[in-house]
Amino acid sequence: MKNLFLIFFLLSLGFSQSKVSIQDKEVEINENEAVLEVLGMVCSMCAFGIGEGFAKTDFIDKSKFTDGVSVDIDAQYVQLGLLESTNVNPEKIVQVIEDAGYNVNLLFILQNEKLTKFSTDKLGILQPIAYNLISDIDN
Amino acid sequence: MLRKFFVAIILFSSISAHPVIFKNGKVIWLTQNPSFNDIRFGVSKTSNWLIGGRFLEDRKSNETFALVNNNYLAKRWNNRNSQANLYLLSSVGLNTKNSKSMGTVGIHGDWEDRRFMVMQMLEYYSHSSALVSNTRLAYSPYTVDYSKTSTWLIAHYRIEYSDNKYSYMFFPVVRLFKKNYLVEIGSNGDNAFLSFMTHF
Repeated sequence: MKNLFLIFFLLSLGFSQSKVSIQDKEVEINENEAVLEVLGMVCSMCAFGIGEGFAKTDFIDKSKFTDGVSVDIDAQYVQLGLLESTNVNPEKIVQVIEDAGYNVNLLFILQNEKLTKFSTDKLGILQPIAYNLISDIDN
Repeated sequence: MLRKFFVAIILFSSISAHPVIFKNGKVIWLTQNPSFNDIRFGVSKTSNWLIGGRFLEDRKSNETFALVNNNYLAKRWNNRNSQANLYLLSSVGLNTKNSKSMGTVGIHGDWEDRRFMVMQMLEYYSHSSALVSNTRLAYSPYTVDYSKTSTWLIAHYRIEYSDNKYSYMFFPVVRLFKKNYLVEIGSNGDNAFLSFMTHF
């Protein structure tokens, strides 16, 4: 039980800074954003397909980043701006990545002051693995 | 000789990048040299399957071929910082002048990360009964982010078996790409080619 409290305490510290860890790199995440670790994304043509896929969805806030999408190929993550009024289904985000030919390893969504972390299991099914309420996010 | 060069052009224009792209993505390839004009268009119906059309013109003999391409991604391994693929390739079509049929079958495997790439492809061409092996080893001297131009230096080695004899060809190739545009330029002193590709 002590360990559980310790884990939640440490997670809370991380969330209050609004940062998530992708391959040892800390990425800042703000309200109505998502951060994904994408496996296999090794070239800019790969990244182009991902951007095209999200451009056709109805939950991307195109005022953020470049048309709502930011790609870091070196660290293998994608950051999305999400429309404030939309509660995004994480499966829809994963589907866009899979339609582009890649896999999601980790997915973080910060909406309604709640940061949710998902990870794909051995069967490739998305599972929520940690969550917390956030009260001190800088928007 | 002309037929071999014709086969080489088909191969070089078909191995410039991934044979299947993102779902509903469209791709255009253009290859031009003193002997040939080659125009291709394809649509990835899924992230595993691309189908397309192709028009090839032999400027010297005035032969033209209309072909349908069918590329299937049999397996992809997406790993942290690398990717590997296994593709099955085929095409069928006609000589537009005499309606003689032409077909190809092939298998393509590759592995790449941000700095290195290896590729091996085997293809069989029915019109010439040629079996062709293409091998590529590539190195990118620097890595860049999504918005900047990426450069690859490629060693391309080709072996063709037809008419009971082997022929060998080596090409140094430079590949440049930025976002959804790719250009490849290669020459070995005797032969040269230029390839352009875009996704949209």
